Amino acid sequence: MNRFAKIAGQYSLVIFAAIVLNFALPRLAPGGPIEYLAPPADGLVSEADREAILERFDLGGSTGQQFVTYLGNLAQGDLGTSIRDGRSVTDVIGHRIGWSILLVGTAVVLSTVLGVALGFASGWRRGSRRDIGILTAVLAVDALPAFFVGLMLLLIFSVQLGWFPVYGAVTPGDLGAWEWIFDVLQRLVLPGITLTLVGLGSVFVVARSAMISETGEDYVFMARAKGLDERRVRRHARRNALLPVSTVSLLGFSTLVGAATVVETVFSYPGLGSLGFEAVRARDYPLLQGVFLLFALLSIAVNLLNDLLYPMLDPRVRKVGQHD
Amino acid sequence: MLALLMILALMPSAAVAQDDEEVVVRIGLHAAEKNLNPFISPTALPITHDFTMLVYDTLFWSQATLDPEPWLATGAEPSDDFRTWTVSLREGVTWHDGMPFTAEDVAFTYQYFTDVGGPGRYGHHVTDHPKFASANVIDDLTVELSFVDPVSTFMMLPGGDVPIVAKHIWEGVEDPLADATSLQIGTGPYRMVDYDPNTSYRLEANEDYFKGKPLVDTLIMPVIRDAQAAFAGLQTGELDFVTRNVPAPLIAQIEANDELALAEGSRMQSMYLMFNTRKPALRDPLVRKAMSMALDVQMIVDIVEGGLGVPGNDTWTHPESEFAHPTGGHEFDVDAANAMLDDAGYSAGDGGTRVSADGVPLEFTLLVNATAPPQIRAGELVAEQLELLGVDITVEPLDPPAIGAMRRPSPDGPPTNDMFIAVFESHAHADPEHLYFFFHTPGSGGVGVVFSGYSNPEFDALLEEGLSATIEDKAALIEQAQDIFAEEQPAVTLYYPNGRWAYRPAAFDGWASDPGHGVFTKRSLLPTAAEPEPEPEPTEVPEPAAAEEPEDEAEAEEPAAEPTEAPEVEPEPADDAEQETDADDEQESASAGAVESDSDSGGGLSGLAVGGIVVAAAAVLGGGAMAARSRRREGTVED
Repeated sequence: MNRFAKIAGQYSLVIFAAIVLNFALPRLAPGGPIEYLAPPADGLVSEADREAILERFDLGGSTGQQFVTYLGNLAQGDLGTSIRDGRSVTDVIGHRIGWSILLVGTAVVLSTVLGVALGFASGWRRGSRRDIGILTAVLAVDALPAFFVGLMLLLIFSVQLGWFPVYGAVTPGDLGAWEWIFDVLQRLVLPGITLTLVGLGSVFVVARSAMISETGEDYVFMARAKGLDERRVRRHARRNALLPVSTVSLLGFSTLVGAATVVETVFSYPGLGSLGFEAVRARDYPLLQGVFLLFALLSIAVNLLNDLLYPMLDPRVRKVGQHD
Repeated sequence: MLALLMILALMPSAAVAQDDEEVVVRIGLHAAEKNLNPFISPTALPITHDFTMLVYDTLFWSQATLDPEPWLATGAEPSDDFRTWTVSLREGVTWHDGMPFTAEDVAFTYQYFTDVGGPGRYGHHVTDHPKFASANVIDDLTVELSFVDPVSTFMMLPGGDVPIVAKHIWEGVEDPLADATSLQIGTGPYRMVDYDPNTSYRLEANEDYFKGKPLVDTLIMPVIRDAQAAFAGLQTGELDFVTRNVPAPLIAQIEANDELALAEGSRMQSMYLMFNTRKPALRDPLVRKAMSMALDVQMIVDIVEGGLGVPGNDTWTHPESEFAHPTGGHEFDVDAANAMLDDAGYSAGDGGTRVSADGVPLEFTLLVNATAPPQIRAGELVAEQLELLGVDITVEPLDPPAIGAMRRPSPDGPPTNDMFIAVFESHAHADPEHLYFFFHTPGSGGVGVVFSGYSNPEFDALLEEGLSATIEDKAALIEQAQDIFAEEQPAVTLYYPNGRWAYRPAAFDGWASDPGHGVFTKRSLLPTAAEPEPEPEPTEVPEPAAAEEPEDEAEAEEPAAEPTEAPEVEPEPADDAEQETDADDEQESASAGAVESDSDSGGGLSGLAVGGIVVAAAAVLGGGAMAARSRRREGTVED
């Protein structure tokens, strides 16, 4: 009980800090929603009118008042109305979150699988030509910025070869069920590959170094001395090396959501990353608050998941926890 | 895995089923527009007006000419004092939902904008100038619209600009701005069938349209914010038209591609440099004029637009607009400018920057739209050129809302910016009263306060008189005002960009220039054949002299025949948000954020991509080769 209370307390504090930051950060940028709602060329809007316009979006009053209103609405699950769209923030986000999950989820899974495979292959024979070869290749790709990789893929595979469509998550219009699935998958390929390559590097590096540490462990030495063949030894090492990878992979989820912004823009993929980007340009406070809060909560949830998962994967940590 | 990828790659793109005769055109929009609700200030697109006008109609078309074509109206006759216009309406027009269009809708529209709609892109032509007074419905096809002051240019503005909305839809709606999702019902050539916010639109032809059955049956319009992706989509055939102007570097590529073509059209756009005349150093017209004279606008066009544009005039009005100054021109003389400042006591201080007699240095910060590369480049050129004059300019790229904040008056006084570069769209140039609107002394009319804050009583008087003058008198007054403008230069026009758009002729070839509107307008989508004469109007009002017999001439814009006027519009610097078309626009700026404004350098990218591919491929292949070669050494413990 005590332990739960402690964890709950810590996380609540973090969540509250996230809420405060999400509220404050958008307001730090020069200019505000009024630039969008009552553009200068509309005729100078009187103070009273400005207040009225901002009121519609719960953005009137002093910053303090806005914060209180914001907290109140948040408690009721109301994220406000997007200035840019005129629809509720929940609606706007809900519309696009599915695509984000699809894109980021795919990228996390693929980058983990690929990163682990390459990392282990590399780390097992550290210093070998294979290791150096893979390391060079992966780091080279990792050094390329996301938009560059995306644009390159777009130009080669979509424009030159015409293999994949150029934009969007799905073709507008009515499609049959199977058509729809193929269409979505087809449009997911290039952005998915791009984002995978973005996340590959960190998983690879962690997997590789984890495997390298394992190869130095006593049990590996013992197993070989016993005469076990390499494959079995490697299997044991692999399972242990997976531990740190699980952490990096889960954390990758939150990292990739941000990196997805660029990829989504290049491929006109309607996800949350590009939504946040558009919201910043319009100073759409309610939408920004909503999107960033979502990102923050996602990071926190992923962290929590990792905290809970780790003891399950690593019995040693489990024991320590029990001593609390 | 690889097999799966191959299968997916070779799968043809899911296409919407279409029979052979249906003409479907896919248009890549460069920013999201809301649901085309005319009360919501357009947010992002410079083409919003034309887009909205696919669904709605105006009494006349268009706002860019003094002699617009009758559209929903067949004619309009002014009273002797030009305060009341008797408008005859076309018979047989129906709304998209089947209800008949009548004079009640027209009367309702003007009244509604005044009462509820408020100022905005369209509203300000009803609430500000000319100020609407009342409407009187004579019969189903005749209505009298009365204004507070005389309006000699009614047919042009608001007649050619304000969309007519349906009384039976909007009556009773108290907050029209709250509706950003419903599908709009208008009288226009296209019906809004589907709208996926921020993602795509689907419009279908209104087959009974009174100007003829539209040439394209279905318009599918996805929103593609990234410039490269949009033009890539055009090249792969996924798109048939891109609303974004073709950036200069991409033109060669488009021309080289047999499947693509370029349509040129006039858009009446300008890029300008505006001074904040309230700043102490900029109050003196002499300083501004000297700076203007130091600007080599031809060079700016050549460098920023590759020469595809017309250098700006000192007289402000767009050469293609109806009230353009007869001679225009730009005075460029650096030596004379330097002499002017020397004589006025602006001596060079340390570092070469001039200082006024009162000790105020000529040091300024020039704000440019960070999301519009041409503006940034133009700003840099301006800074370089003004250095020769002893004026120190620091270019500061900011995003549109930040610039907007600096253009508003602050609580303690005038706006904080020194000067900024922005773009005016066609609506701003077409409006006969735009000089009044933008440059009248702030506070007693117009929105000058967020532009230059220019204040000159003589200038004001001329324009005020022009508001109610006849067309001839107005032209003379505006010309005189422009002469003053050319001497005092509260703003300097840098250039008028050309307009070019890329499209696939195989899908649809009818894109034609509609003066002041570019090629993406309803005229391009309507048949050019002359229409049968309408039945004689059963009206008590004498046939308005102005009523040209409708149809015909309209189709003067033959597709392709548009040699268009010289100043072609420039490729939207991707979103140069600052379209200051009278209202919104700024929105444009703000939302333009939404307008992407990605770089226009598509061409350079190919080269870069090839280089990058080579490097990356080399690294990856090299590494992979090493890895593969070492496979043999399995089983060795190396540690």
